[in-house]
Amino acid sequence: MRIADEGLRDRLAAEYVLGTMSARARRRFEVYLRGNPQLRAAVARWEARLCPMADLLPGIEPPPRVWAAIRGRLKFDLPARAGFWSSLAFWRMSAFGSALAAVALAIVLGLPKPEAPAPEGRMVVVMHDLATNKPAMTASWDPGTPGGRAVRLRVLGHAEMGPHTAWELWMLPGGDGKPVSLGLITTHETQVVHVPAALAARLDAARGLAMSVEPEGGSPTGLPSGPVLYAGSSVRT
Amino acid sequence: MSLPEALAPDQLSELIARCALRDQHAFARLYESCSAKLFAVAVRITRRRDWAEEVLQEAFVNIWNHAGGYNSARSAPMTWMTAIVRNRALDWLRRPREVEIGEEHEELMASIPDESPGPEELLRRSLEAGELAQCMKGLTEEQQRSLSLAFFYGLSHGEAAEQMRKPLGTVKTWIRRGLERLKACLEALDK
Repeated sequence: MRIADEGLRDRLAAEYVLGTMSARARRRFEVYLRGNPQLRAAVARWEARLCPMADLLPGIEPPPRVWAAIRGRLKFDLPARAGFWSSLAFWRMSAFGSALAAVALAIVLGLPKPEAPAPEGRMVVVMHDLATNKPAMTASWDPGTPGGRAVRLRVLGHAEMGPHTAWELWMLPGGDGKPVSLGLITTHETQVVHVPAALAARLDAARGLAMSVEPEGGSPTGLPSGPVLYAGSSVRT
Repeated sequence: MSLPEALAPDQLSELIARCALRDQHAFARLYESCSAKLFAVAVRITRRRDWAEEVLQEAFVNIWNHAGGYNSARSAPMTWMTAIVRNRALDWLRRPREVEIGEEHEELMASIPDESPGPEELLRRSLEAGELAQCMKGLTEEQQRSLSLAFFYGLSHGEAAEQMRKPLGTVKTWIRRGLERLKACLEALDK
């Protein structure tokens, strides 16, 4: 019985790998495969036997659009080519395109500088959703103290992060200073972002904060590369 | 266009391992090195360039997503990737036309008993095409032809029978005997 079963298993594995099964039989076989390591081993053996036949085929160079499509589907930042990210359907589908994001950042950067830091008071930033102009996230911290800063974030409403994306928080320094990353954040209602002491003075003097949508792992360029969803200027209370 | 760089199996295994660690450069290199071979597999089975492009795209997305599950001790890198491409291509090919001769396989499958997992033996790395070719020569002409039709063109039993203008049962037997002989020959060479 057992030998007979083994023979059956092996025969089915061979036909599966060879590709003679109908769609329905293939699907059913794949269900069995998942729960049966011996069947998987039999399939692996047949793949090892038959797949080298494919080496006999002369290669055919696929057109470049195939790689472009793969990269797009996996949301790669590779190769680091200008305009690559903005070309992705991902950005086109998001509320804010890159061009708009740049405009939004420029608006925030052009905001008047907050009053000179006073020793007392708390820094507060109300970030607005740039698409709806509604308050979307608040940040607050105690300025002027030695050491780093604990920036308390509060996400308002029920924000959702797209799959394979990340939210990155940026500090917008005054003048011509480029945005400085404060790291990745989550959609949790309350969270604390720790800013190192080296950046503390700049954070206290910053014009504001912004949040951009980035690929998983954060911006590949060190600057906001995706749409800026939220931004707001710093206010001393 | 420059020829794709031919990489040794060890190098390919390493690239796949790096893909598991989400190394996009490694993935790009893997694509450069293997896409032409794998595209040829997809073109042959789907018989349409546009379908083959879709298949290759899906296959490489799968390769990236499942790189963590690749075990170089169990299968050679090209075997693993070829199997992914072939499975995508066969699924694609079988998509429009449903029925055919699934009943027999289904019957067979229903009789597979569920067994508790035994220790998985380590599988030998894939045989060189040389060994395979040698064993193919030991098959009858009809066996060779029917196996090749199924493997390279993704033909089902019925389609292969039509192509060879032979009764379905005859072609099924050629394929089954061909596979048995191939297996026996390759196993003998293994020892």
